[in-house]
Amino acid sequence: MSPDVRVWMLITGLAAIAFVSRAIFVVPGSRLSLPPTVERVLRYAPAAALVAIIVPDLFRLEGVVTLSLDNPRVMAGVVAVVVAARTRNILMTIASGMAALWLASRIMHL
Amino acid sequence: MKALNWHPAESAAFREGVISAVPLTVGVAPWGVVTGVAMVSAGLTSTQAVGMSLLVFAGSAQLAVLPLFIAKAPLWVMYATALIVNLRYFIYSAVLAPYFARLPRPWRVLLSYITVDGVFAMFAGRYRPGDGAEHKHWFYLGGSVLSWVIWQTASVLGIFGGSLIPRTWSLEFAATLALTALLMPLLFDRAVVSGAIVAGMVSLAGSRLPMNLGVLLAVIAGVVVGLIVTRFVPAAPAAGGADVP
Repeated sequence: MSPDVRVWMLITGLAAIAFVSRAIFVVPGSRLSLPPTVERVLRYAPAAALVAIIVPDLFRLEGVVTLSLDNPRVMAGVVAVVVAARTRNILMTIASGMAALWLASRIMHL
Repeated sequence: MKALNWHPAESAAFREGVISAVPLTVGVAPWGVVTGVAMVSAGLTSTQAVGMSLLVFAGSAQLAVLPLFIAKAPLWVMYATALIVNLRYFIYSAVLAPYFARLPRPWRVLLSYITVDGVFAMFAGRYRPGDGAEHKHWFYLGGSVLSWVIWQTASVLGIFGGSLIPRTWSLEFAATLALTALLMPLLFDRAVVSGAIVAGMVSLAGSRLPMNLGVLLAVIAGVVVGLIVTRFVPAAPAAGGADVP
């Protein structure tokens, strides 16, 4: 598969997934209520997925996941988590995390 | 042509939706820019990135898939990840269905495509199905259209501005930070927090697994732990359905 085809397969596949997950009950006009356990699974999975994406990405050193705290990204991640939890503000989270990344890489590479 | 005669009550509801959604755009705009930058720095051309933004219109799924795309994960792993991140929309869809059940099908298709977290939460907090507010779908459309326009504009800014920013600024890291901010409203009780912590550990431990399967394993582990915690640590009933973020 050429890289270009792969990208468009990704885009169209994601488009279908995004639409179907929003439309699945609205478009047929169904009136069902989800069983509590199903609803719990649907609510727990996205949080688990985001954490599963974020954590290894914080531990990446030159592209490779490395279990070491001597990594500016880990420091920046800790700062971002604290700011995100306190402010719930995306702009503050990004700004403080990027500032922490910059500072930490300065300090660590003295 | 009836369609061209915009009923005053309809345009009033639409306008009210737009105005009510203004505070939400403060969060939507930077997130859109970051997603635009992230798509381009993952290697998408600007045409592909604009196409993704218009067709997919699901920022958290896009951001979640891009690190996997960079790591050359198989398509099905990326699809599965996007589906999992989008599972919350299944709940929104179930909640919204009775509100929109009487609308013509093109309306239901449009309102589905354009659904976003913030407008959904605002709408479900404000209206009930069958509450007699006949134009509430216009309110929903107004808020959603504003979010859509802001999102697409911000995303395009990120796509075309992102390539001007030097690589040494590590701007792709901003995408991870944006996901961190998006995560917070999803951590609504002890069970989901416990599940999320386990998911993080499993994902880290499984980061060397082939095909990026660590992420999917982590989700399964996280959900199982979440369900176990709910079972043995009774949560307050308020954690039920009405306050979906």
